[in-house]
Amino acid sequence: MFEALFYLLIFPGGFFLVLVGLGFEWLDRKLLALFQRRVGPPWYQPLADLIKLFSKEDLLPKGGNELVATLLPLLSLCAVLVAGLYVPIAGFTPYSFEGDLIVILFLMSVPTLAYYLAGIISIGIYSILGGGRSLLQYFSYEVPFLIALSGPAVLARSWSIEGILTAQFTLGSFVLFQPLGFILALVGLIGKLKRDPLDIPSAKSEVVGGSLTEFSGGKLGFWHLAMNIQAVVGIFLIINLFLGWTKLANPFVAILVFFLEFLVIVGMLSSASAIFARLRIDQLAGLGWRILVPLSLAQILFVILMGV
Amino acid sequence: MSKISIPIGPQHPLLKEPLSMKIDISGEKVLGGSLRLGYVHRGIERLAQKRNYVQTIHLVERVCGICSHIHTTTFCQAVESLLKLEVPPRAQYLRALMCELERIHSHLLWLGILAKHVGLDTIFMHTWHDRELALDVMEEITGGRVLHGANQIGGVRFDLDESHFPMIHANLEKLRSQILGLLDILENEPALIARTKGVAPVSQKTIRQYGVVGPVARASGVDVDMRRDNPLPPYDQLKFSVVTMPDGDAWARTIVRAEEIRESLNLCEMILEDLPDGEVSKRAPRNVPEGEVIIRSEAPRGELFYYLRSDGTDQPARLKIRTPTLAALCLLPVQMSDIQVADIPVVLAGVDLCVACADR
Amino acid sequence: MTYFRKRFSIISAIFEALIKPPETVDYPKGALMLPEGFRGALLFDTDQCIGCGLCVRNCPADALHMEKKSRDEYKLIHYPARCAYCGQCEDNCRHGAIYHSNQLVKPTDNPAGLIVVLKEKKEA
Repeated sequence: MFEALFYLLIFPGGFFLVLVGLGFEWLDRKLLALFQRRVGPPWYQPLADLIKLFSKEDLLPKGGNELVATLLPLLSLCAVLVAGLYVPIAGFTPYSFEGDLIVILFLMSVPTLAYYLAGIISIGIYSILGGGRSLLQYFSYEVPFLIALSGPAVLARSWSIEGILTAQFTLGSFVLFQPLGFILALVGLIGKLKRDPLDIPSAKSEVVGGSLTEFSGGKLGFWHLAMNIQAVVGIFLIINLFLGWTKLANPFVAILVFFLEFLVIVGMLSSASAIFARLRIDQLAGLGWRILVPLSLAQILFVILMGV
Repeated sequence: MSKISIPIGPQHPLLKEPLSMKIDISGEKVLGGSLRLGYVHRGIERLAQKRNYVQTIHLVERVCGICSHIHTTTFCQAVESLLKLEVPPRAQYLRALMCELERIHSHLLWLGILAKHVGLDTIFMHTWHDRELALDVMEEITGGRVLHGANQIGGVRFDLDESHFPMIHANLEKLRSQILGLLDILENEPALIARTKGVAPVSQKTIRQYGVVGPVARASGVDVDMRRDNPLPPYDQLKFSVVTMPDGDAWARTIVRAEEIRESLNLCEMILEDLPDGEVSKRAPRNVPEGEVIIRSEAPRGELFYYLRSDGTDQPARLKIRTPTLAALCLLPVQMSDIQVADIPVVLAGVDLCVACADR
Repeated sequence: MTYFRKRFSIISAIFEALIKPPETVDYPKGALMLPEGFRGALLFDTDQCIGCGLCVRNCPADALHMEKKSRDEYKLIHYPARCAYCGQCEDNCRHGAIYHSNQLVKPTDNPAGLIVVLKEKKEA
């Protein structure tokens, strides 16, 4: 009983994920600042932002539904927190079962759908535009993302993340067999997180704030927290699926390696947002269906042939 | 899909100055747009009639927040031609130096804003750092970063001495290498090209119909530059080329502006080399004789027009300012068709918005 | 080779930026460098002022005001919130009584700071 509560609230769920989420946001912002030759925020900035948002007045425009507007950010936060519970951290996972990869992928899609709903139920014109765009973007990146993430599962002949990790300990890291899949998964993750350069649904210069234009105060704080934790869970997932090395007996070394891999992927995400300009939605759809989907299919074909 | 209309402005993250556009869209497609101006009308032309000529210099400096120096220069030239006052050559060269530095900083600012609007924040930050080099030079020699207060009737209020030259040359050299790197990036960044190339091109005919001037016109192949066509000293003694591109889209405007920065850097170095000796200012009387004059000069955004009538007192009887941005803003509704919602920022940035200039 | 160098120039630009120091200043902790000729806070030398009023005549922002009764009885007032820091009063003053320093003006929450009496001379 206490064990379960500890897993749920402290580690690897709840508190730990919130902490890592805030740390991720700071790291990302600081790295971007360094790439752009700025000073960047101090380490406590994300926490300070969150506290500030929660202490602010919570406004909802006339005609908005208070219940739905409150539920949507909480729903996406819960979904990503639950997803984080099933992703192994440095090989440690409290609950593992055959098929947890599919559950995580499902839970990771919940914030996108909630984001779409948040836009479409709002009466603001920018929110509706942003909501529609988020769904369009979802159809562009989700297919290559899912195919890329199923590559390791096919290669390991297991739909549990722990099984995939174990397969990597014997076969070798999957990034060596499917580097293409790794890149595609990263691109998909950027699209899922609505990060620059695929921040089309929330592009400031085009649709102001996207779906979140009319949100304020604590609700906006929950949205930001959910996005950060979603990023962390996504990065943990990619580390587990593609970057599992040999089984390390020493837990400290394992944690260190895991942390370094985390840093590398955050660095890749930050440099991607520093390098690329935002695409137009038609350009993204073209990129998704003309380039990413064929590439991911080629990757999965290669994996299947390798398995045979 | 049904037609909806989205408001851009008067307050919008896209705009730094108030301007209102109503844009009709259907899905992601833009059907048309209308423009409303006048949010920052300050009545500067009327105010100028209530002030003396010395005070008016500082007033017209505040017409535009970016190209402040060219406004005072043009106004001073108008007053000087009424006074029949011969400005010392050193003062003319120093004015031109400031004009070119201002062109560099204005164009760099524009490049940064375009990059920001297409989501390329890195280029935005890097160009604005480079712009700081030009601003540092101006701050060092005149004492003001943006509002330089550099001109007075009869000359300029600052002088260069030997201690300034190493700093200016170092900054210009650094700027040159940065601009080369920037051009490399701009010409080869695939996502930037994909976002700007072919977006809402404007034909040469439309440009002539709307009377658009400056880099926007030059990017559509209209070869017009007041520095060459109607040279005021010292531009009649300086050699430079006018950059034009035939395409008329946002990409052509980017390249035209980037190349103009290079031309301006060359001009700066030419001016520093040829800088004549002598005094920098002549004493001017307070009262200006009766008469009227028209002066046209090349601001960073295009041809600037000043009409000044004097009735023999120490206050202008009428001052009319026509800024280059007003015509460019009228081009916006024309461009707002057959584009996507994502292209709106590019089109808006493309004309180099300066609402304060247009409204005055 | 040149093609690749140009193609990846933005990538090299951001990684060069990593090793270069930041160009922004950590405000308000960082040091602010202002050049010598910067037109900052207005300073006043009471002894030099003779009360001629030339500074008031050309002030474009009406930031200087003079209540003058006679040569020996006048009051010169400065309104810092109106001041445009244009340097015209410094140019006009023939005795160097009013001039700009190169220091920034600190914001104030004291309403009394909006009116500064530069010089008040009364008949002896």
